[in-house]
Amino acid sequence: MDYKTTHYKDINEVIYIYEHKSGLKAFVIPKKGYSKKYATFATHYGSINNEFIPPGEKESLKVPDGIAHFLEHKLFEQEDGSVIDKFSKLGSSPNAYTSFNHTVYLFSCTEKFQENLKLLLEYVQNPYITEESVEKEKGIIGQEIRMYEDNPNWRSSVNLLGALYSRHPIRVDMAGTIESISQINRDYLYKCYNTFYHPSNMMVLVVGDVDHEQVFRQVEESIKTSGSKPEIRRIFPEEPEAINKPYVEQKLAVSVPLFQAGFKDNIKNTGGMDGLYREVAVKLLLEMIMGKSSPLYSQLYSEGLINATFGFDYTIEENYAFSMFGGESPNPEKVRDRILEAIWNIGYTGLDASAFDRIRKAMKGRFVRQFNSVERISHNFISVYFRGVNIFDYLHVYDTISLEYTNDIFRQHFKPEQLALSVIKPV
Amino acid sequence: MNDVSARENLYKIGSFNGIDIYKIRSEKFKTNTINVFFHDNLNHERATKNALLPAVLRRGCKSFPSLQDIALYLEELYGAIFDCGVVKKGETQIVHFYMEFISDRYTGDDESLFEKAYRLLYEIITQPVLENEVFRTDYVEQEKENLRKLIEGRINDKLQYAVDKCLEEMCKDEPFSIYEYGSVDDLKDIDSNGLYEYYIRTFLPTLPVSIFITGDVEDGKIQGMMDLFSGMKRGPVKHVVSTPVKKDVKEIRHVTEKMNVNQGKLSIGFRTNIGPSDEEYNSLIVYSSILGGGPHSKLFQNVREKASLAYYAFSRLERFKGLMVISSGIEAENKDKALEIIFDQIEDMKKGNITDYEFDSAIKYLENGLKSMRDSQLQIVDYYLSQVIAGTNYDFDTLINKIKKVTKQDVTDIAAQIQPDTIYFLTAEDK
Repeated sequence: MDYKTTHYKDINEVIYIYEHKSGLKAFVIPKKGYSKKYATFATHYGSINNEFIPPGEKESLKVPDGIAHFLEHKLFEQEDGSVIDKFSKLGSSPNAYTSFNHTVYLFSCTEKFQENLKLLLEYVQNPYITEESVEKEKGIIGQEIRMYEDNPNWRSSVNLLGALYSRHPIRVDMAGTIESISQINRDYLYKCYNTFYHPSNMMVLVVGDVDHEQVFRQVEESIKTSGSKPEIRRIFPEEPEAINKPYVEQKLAVSVPLFQAGFKDNIKNTGGMDGLYREVAVKLLLEMIMGKSSPLYSQLYSEGLINATFGFDYTIEENYAFSMFGGESPNPEKVRDRILEAIWNIGYTGLDASAFDRIRKAMKGRFVRQFNSVERISHNFISVYFRGVNIFDYLHVYDTISLEYTNDIFRQHFKPEQLALSVIKPV
Repeated sequence: MNDVSARENLYKIGSFNGIDIYKIRSEKFKTNTINVFFHDNLNHERATKNALLPAVLRRGCKSFPSLQDIALYLEELYGAIFDCGVVKKGETQIVHFYMEFISDRYTGDDESLFEKAYRLLYEIITQPVLENEVFRTDYVEQEKENLRKLIEGRINDKLQYAVDKCLEEMCKDEPFSIYEYGSVDDLKDIDSNGLYEYYIRTFLPTLPVSIFITGDVEDGKIQGMMDLFSGMKRGPVKHVVSTPVKKDVKEIRHVTEKMNVNQGKLSIGFRTNIGPSDEEYNSLIVYSSILGGGPHSKLFQNVREKASLAYYAFSRLERFKGLMVISSGIEAENKDKALEIIFDQIEDMKKGNITDYEFDSAIKYLENGLKSMRDSQLQIVDYYLSQVIAGTNYDFDTLINKIKKVTKQDVTDIAAQIQPDTIYFLTAEDK
């Protein structure tokens, strides 16, 4: 059996990579001494893929919002009952999640790893969906959607994406709406499945104290190789460069206002190492501008404009990228204005080289810390994998990223006209 | 690696002046952690002060007098993490100071982060920045405001709020109903003088302290830390009493709260009348797992999968107060239907209507969960902190073996004493 081994001695990690003849790639990151074995089977298909041309067809198909997430729920159902029962009998914990870009099926176990892995690989490749079970699921997912409607942090993020984007499907919640899921039926679900669940569009990752050769043998045996690799044509609406609107507000049962604000990026090359460098650069800049060690953070905190809930992040995916920052504040508009002012000042004075080095060192340390957790490794690995890079590539980026490059990115990203603010106010 | 089984076990390595020091050795992590816990009886007079103190202390210490100074230093220490918080376990309030930092093996130089980490932690706890020999007024006032918002902000997380509120209503005449972060009413009377007085006379000298060190740290280095902490000025140390758990329920209380929400949140609080160190507690863990502890459970299968009423439906134990709570998010109009299904499950538990699948899955689910905890330093520490408070001191394998010995009969035997006490419903305002 052919597989590739790469060691990362500085952080005492190793990865084994195997390519199946179907085009599926499988990875093992061994974690000696860990009890938990965490296996994921993921497809490069998420909530934003709501328009596509199914393989072998000519016409494009627009499917109801929330269908990727709905399909994730439905795959658990098998001809002989729920696959959850089978995992429960094996004593493992199955789960799944759908993001904008991918759908991930997983289990975590401490015993009977091989049986669990076999089950995971089997059920994801064998959908069994009936009209009756689709209707039943609408009640459950309906309550999931209702739960998020009452979640102010979630709402402020979703509303921000709606303010940043005019047409891109990222503006719609992953789970869709009660309205949109009511249109979902068995035919739609199978169309989506047949388009996006070919092994060539998928990957397998195991993190834990396992025998990697055994994993690869199981993958070799279980993954179907039927038919040729289909061409997937994903269709996205043309998204304007400008933001949709600079301000959006919603009222909910909260005690104090909370907000999310962010800058929309307009770049074409978001994948590969370019995207990774850009991600690290923007995150470094966010730390420098508004991180806990920045003068701005201290000022806003002392003035009571932000509190410990304040945080920030940067997302970069195949055809969109944006920063996001926020938390609770009695006056979100003032926070936004102060951040813009700080950005203007940094643009004038330039980045502080010693802060850059210090924060780079800290970020690398915090990156290494992520390797404590099999879940964190898996989660992050999958999200960068579908961008065409590998989680270990971050190490190289932290070691080589320059102040000059970061300065460039500063000027590209933090443009006042690309900033939107989303506020949740008390009823 | 012969002594792998001894990994992630607890060793008490020191005890002086009411400070107990424990070590949990494990080499598999990239980081080490130091956890300092102050324990107190949950009490109206002190709860809010105990909650406010870490918030004020984290603002600055002698060498690093501001939030920014501390943040800058943490970045220098390869992005070390400092945090603090407050929890309650039964009627014990616990103030937690925490540091996590990269293991020396991965820093690429000879610095010992462990020593720097414990020195910083010690200084934040014991040498706050002062003004006129008390806490800085601006720090105290700002943190009072932050704490007020935190307490009022409980309504933001509706799921957690509905669970907490149910248990608080249920125990409204007992100390357990005190929120771990205190109350807005008590906050008003606190000023920097009074808080400092409390800190210097009560908090630092008299509260029992436990310290947990996890990861890969040499004993010689830990000695240095013990020497430092032995210099802490301590007086007679208070005894933290264990929480009473017995209460007979005369009739079920119904509490409805109206708020501007979309989804109704149903919580049902129960008295189990089982204490944290009772042998029966092991049966109770299995009981709750069968009833509502995972996708194999009766609540998940019946409320969600069969009736499609909810996305989530679970039961959870509050070990130290002997409580169990069931929680589910539903459409308001389905409240009665949901209650009926839930109480049918409780009845089945009493009658011993438990399938082999439900029972075996529950045991395995617990075993998997306990073994998995060994992969997280925070969870290991929380597990052992609970063991220490309960006085059980079971390591992971001991508890797993006890759970595996529980029989269906054991579960049915305790079912009768689990009494519903309060049914709480958070629902939309009348239109």
